[in-house]
Amino acid sequence: MANEVREGLRYTKTHEWVKLAGSKAKIGITDHAQEELTDIVFVELPAVGKEVKKGEELCVVESVKSVSEVYAPVSGKVVAVNTKLDDSPEIINEKPYDDGWLVELEVKDKKELDMLLDAASYKKM
Amino acid sequence: MAIRSPLYPVQVKLGARFTEFAGFEMPIQYSSILEEHMTVRKAVGLFDVSHMSNVWITGPDAEKLITLTTVEDASRIPDGKSQYTVILREDGTIIDDTIFMHLGNQYMMIPNAGMNEIVTCWLNDQAKKHHLKVKAEDVSREYVILAVQGPKSRETLQKLTDTDLSTVQFFGCLFTKVAGVECILSHTGYTGELGFELQITPIARAEKVFSAILEAGKEFGIRPIGLGARDTLRLEKCFMLAGNEFEGGHTPLEATLGWTIFWEHNFIGKETLLKQKAQGTFPKMTCLQCTEKGIPRQHCEIHKDGKPVGMVTSGTLSPCLGIGIAMGYVQHDKREPGSILDIIVRDKPVKAKVVKPPFVPKDWAQKPEAVVT
Repeated sequence: MANEVREGLRYTKTHEWVKLAGSKAKIGITDHAQEELTDIVFVELPAVGKEVKKGEELCVVESVKSVSEVYAPVSGKVVAVNTKLDDSPEIINEKPYDDGWLVELEVKDKKELDMLLDAASYKKM
Repeated sequence: MAIRSPLYPVQVKLGARFTEFAGFEMPIQYSSILEEHMTVRKAVGLFDVSHMSNVWITGPDAEKLITLTTVEDASRIPDGKSQYTVILREDGTIIDDTIFMHLGNQYMMIPNAGMNEIVTCWLNDQAKKHHLKVKAEDVSREYVILAVQGPKSRETLQKLTDTDLSTVQFFGCLFTKVAGVECILSHTGYTGELGFELQITPIARAEKVFSAILEAGKEFGIRPIGLGARDTLRLEKCFMLAGNEFEGGHTPLEATLGWTIFWEHNFIGKETLLKQKAQGTFPKMTCLQCTEKGIPRQHCEIHKDGKPVGMVTSGTLSPCLGIGIAMGYVQHDKREPGSILDIIVRDKPVKAKVVKPPFVPKDWAQKPEAVVT
């Protein structure tokens, strides 16, 4: 089964996706990542207002057997988290690019966005 | 290099995802761990557990050897019966937990995966030391072990054997044919559900049995089950996983396996256990059910009022309860049922209540509302 790599998003080597809207970046994990984890049963989201640096741990996604760190693709401040995931973490498996988004950041340094992969480069990985 | 089950090609065809466990490459899941778990609780699942060990114990002193090296007096276990027990070192710590089956004038022992050499050597060394006429023979790689577990397991297997399974008592064992293939069948399992286990040799005949069981169970929604669900199933019932619960060396009293000990016989480790029993103030295996979100994992510290009082040996999300559950050693005076302790998960405390085992009661699927929280 081929995993979906959605066009129009940016990606990291560690399987996060980034959707840009002005100065805000919505972040989630890719179809490949959710498929590797299988049933996601718990998500530990950061506090709104938290500052993160690119590459730092942003949040944790857990399946029955494993604990996976999600890394901040860019530096910024957490302005929103997807609280629906508290009761329904499986949304990430079902819709990793849409309703399964994790965190929204106010981007600190727009130059960091240029270092992200585009869909074609991520597909090649 | 990890050892594969003889049924590896079948596992691949069924879409298994593999993991390494105790030196073996085994399926962790075929579909979803949660789905596989529920299938066993509600219907029937088929496990390949060939990574477990098989040891024949034969000779006139076979019964004496088991009596000496385990906490059971084997003369109490008649032909056609099996028993769960522990093998101890002189210092009373557990070498392995195991089942042994009394089959005519010989015994089949089923040590844990990767423990075949240690257990076989230990048994033969003790036999030599005590001048017993008995031989322990490691035949692990000659057997495929299948487990059929779940409320529909008996109905599934009954289609494939002439033995009336309703007459095989719990922990009963016998030679019989399943799908036309000779095997040892026992009314045993590691899931807490109705179930049976099959020891099959030669291994070339095992695929026929595996396929026949999948076919026979189709009407009940049978699935192949991996080690992921095997772990969540046993943990919900507070069954021990030797590599976790006995890690670092623990006695059966510490592990709350005192119920396996038949004290009225001489066995290796008895002296130390008697001293420990008299003392009574050692940390003990404790079942903890989270009262808030968070998943406890192996090696998480357990705190009370900010002070460490124990450590998690096994932890997961309970698929049936939808909450985190853990087993671990806790100081003897901090583990009163109902007590609230903190399990430290990634530096944050997750509140958990001490509960009496099991987390998930018998026949949960028939009455899921019966869980006391």
